Amino acid sequence: MARYGMVFDLKRCIGCNACVVACKQENALPEGVFFTRTLSEEYGVYPAVNRVYIPTLCNHCEDAPCEKVCPSGATYTRPDGIVMVNPETCIGCGSCAVACPYDQRSEMKAESFKDGLFGTGELTPFEQQGYPRYTPGMVTKCDFCSGRVDAGLDPACVVTCPTEARIFGDLDDPESKPSQLIRERNGRPPLPEKNTRPKVYYID
Amino acid sequence: MAINDLPIVGDSFALGYRFQRYWDTPMANAFFFGELGAGLFFVSLLLGSAQGMLAGLLITGLLKTYFHLSHMGVPKRSWRAIMRPDRSWVSRGLLGIVGLMGFGGATVLIAWTGILAPDSLLVLLLKFAAGAAALVVMTYQGLAMSHSTAIAFWNTGLMPVASLAYAMTGGVMLLLAAVPESAQSLLPVALLLHLCIAAILLSMLHAARHGSPGARKSAELLTRTTYAKWFLVLVCGAGVLLPVLLLWLAGSVPTVALTAAAGTLAGYYTFRLLVFKAGVYEPIMSFRP
Repeated sequence: MARYGMVFDLKRCIGCNACVVACKQENALPEGVFFTRTLSEEYGVYPAVNRVYIPTLCNHCEDAPCEKVCPSGATYTRPDGIVMVNPETCIGCGSCAVACPYDQRSEMKAESFKDGLFGTGELTPFEQQGYPRYTPGMVTKCDFCSGRVDAGLDPACVVTCPTEARIFGDLDDPESKPSQLIRERNGRPPLPEKNTRPKVYYID
Repeated sequence: MAINDLPIVGDSFALGYRFQRYWDTPMANAFFFGELGAGLFFVSLLLGSAQGMLAGLLITGLLKTYFHLSHMGVPKRSWRAIMRPDRSWVSRGLLGIVGLMGFGGATVLIAWTGILAPDSLLVLLLKFAAGAAALVVMTYQGLAMSHSTAIAFWNTGLMPVASLAYAMTGGVMLLLAAVPESAQSLLPVALLLHLCIAAILLSMLHAARHGSPGARKSAELLTRTTYAKWFLVLVCGAGVLLPVLLLWLAGSVPTVALTAAAGTLAGYYTFRLLVFKAGVYEPIMSFRP
């Protein structure tokens, strides 16, 4: 069984946010909800100033704190390591959100499903086909596009990235691209001090 | 730029500290009324006041439940929160509330109707079970918060201690204000509990200021920047200093006790609210790219 993970190459990310748009499109996300973000930071002192872009998404932690605290059992980990949320059992209490050190949980506000993208009270055909996968009020997150992964495809953000800054694959396979990059370029997980053992790594 | 110098970035696409915004006012209300009701019940149980026990049950059973349901994204499924007591403090707390309502309700009913002798084994067992359930309700919210490594300010063993101390203090002060005859026995306890709260607040702030960057940011928000005036005036001033002074000087005077209780509850509620508002996530990168 594979153990899926992702590597972000910070040298390659140009902050175009194509991944963010692809994610919103693939997952039919309501206004204000993002499963992935590209954060930016400027550092240095003039004239030696630099800007770095830092993509973020759910880290699908091996020791996922969101799963531990979920009182309804809605958050669970698949055998391939993808951390999922069951829309049928999530109660929207937000325990997972305050347990995730990476702030990667999103509340699907019930109003978003009623008002629609344009706030007219009518849903566009895009919303009509996309929203039934969620329960209004639930708290959810990135699932590495599990439907695409099951079909043998890469997540939408990965295939959309024009600079190939996002690399997805099996972390248990030493020959996979992410495993090689982590090994050769000293991949580092975000906030390792939180002991969540993320399956997302950054290389620079 | 070091991690300590990063700003609070709100919901923007920038690197920095982010406020937790999932648990806010409705949740603070639920925590406040849950602990206050359970505290009042527990103190009334110890003093044998059936009216106090009933008031405690009503506060917890009605107000806490109402505010929890108003917070829930999918309220009709809230019963599911009981499914994982093996790992979730929310589930354990819900079991505690069910226990408090069941055992506590039975205790009040027996006390009022007198259908069983007060010193019978069954009544004693019911009282013990109700007291234990009240203790769970008084502490589980603090335990749920202290288990969050995400919000460094909450991630301290002092959080459940603060919950317990505030719950007990709230219960004692409500009884003191409502039943002035109890002043003789409750005044020293009330003073001691307020001093405990002062020590807990100081310890929490000290731990936060010498803790991880997220905890330091929260301590800064509470004592120096955004929430400082609320924290210092209401939590420390009205919630601790004022009641201690009033109780020490003239605690047996009913109006003074009432004023002191109002100050305690104002400070307690503000504490509950500000602990949520000052909770921040740390920047996702603790290393220099």
